[in-house]
Amino acid sequence: MRDPLSRRTFFKSSALALAALAVTGSGVGASPLVRGPDNEPDEQVKKVLREKFGARQIREGHVTLDVPDVAPDSREVPLLIECDLPMTASNYVKGIHIVVDHNPDIYLAGFDFTPAIGAATLDTRIKMRRSSQVRVIAETSGGELWTTSRFVFTSLNGCV
Amino acid sequence: MRDDIGQGKIILPVKISRDAVINVRALLSHPMLTGMSRDQAGIPIPAYFVNDVVVTYGGEHVAHFVWTSGISRDPFVGFSLRASKEAPLTITWKDNKGGVYTQSADIKFGAA
Repeated sequence: MRDPLSRRTFFKSSALALAALAVTGSGVGASPLVRGPDNEPDEQVKKVLREKFGARQIREGHVTLDVPDVAPDSREVPLLIECDLPMTASNYVKGIHIVVDHNPDIYLAGFDFTPAIGAATLDTRIKMRRSSQVRVIAETSGGELWTTSRFVFTSLNGCV
Repeated sequence: MRDDIGQGKIILPVKISRDAVINVRALLSHPMLTGMSRDQAGIPIPAYFVNDVVVTYGGEHVAHFVWTSGISRDPFVGFSLRASKEAPLTITWKDNKGGVYTQSADIKFGAA
């Protein structure tokens, strides 16, 4: 009598097992298992924020940041920033600040505006050293600070 | 080194009406080196990046950007502007080695 596990049945069953593994594997990968670390800034970032804004309270809201969740090229990560705050002569967005937690320069850029701008929108491209929280802080002429942040995954060091 | 460093470009909408908020896009050819990379001989490449951008509209200061080397190569910036008058829009980029690059575009209201 032949061996119950012939060559043909062995290949058939192993192929089936592999297919099953692939299916379950992709199922795990698609679930939002990894959402990055939480939003809380670490000590270095807190220090930068203190130096820039003092002890003023930074609140969430009024700013939207459009950025890819996974950056295809960490040397050119596109950012689109919009604020729904008023832009009148007496009450306007004085500045937009970009802070990237794990970059060599944590405070990446500052953009100072005057009311002549009409709307506080911004579109630019930044470099990222590694996967990190990208924070945008809008400063109004009254001194209020509004922020939003997104975690961006990158695969390469873009700070070259 | 590239030979097109400092070539600026300002892109305005084709049609601009009075007091409309328009989108201005500005591009500069610049390597934006961080100073963290090395060349093939292992010698560090010094930092060379644009750190100061000033936007004026009809001689009036409109916006001022402070950058680090974290902005990508060939720095691009898009921002809004209320087209309140027919005047030239001038953008001046300054880099950390003393280079000053200026580009201007005229804001004109609708052809009709």
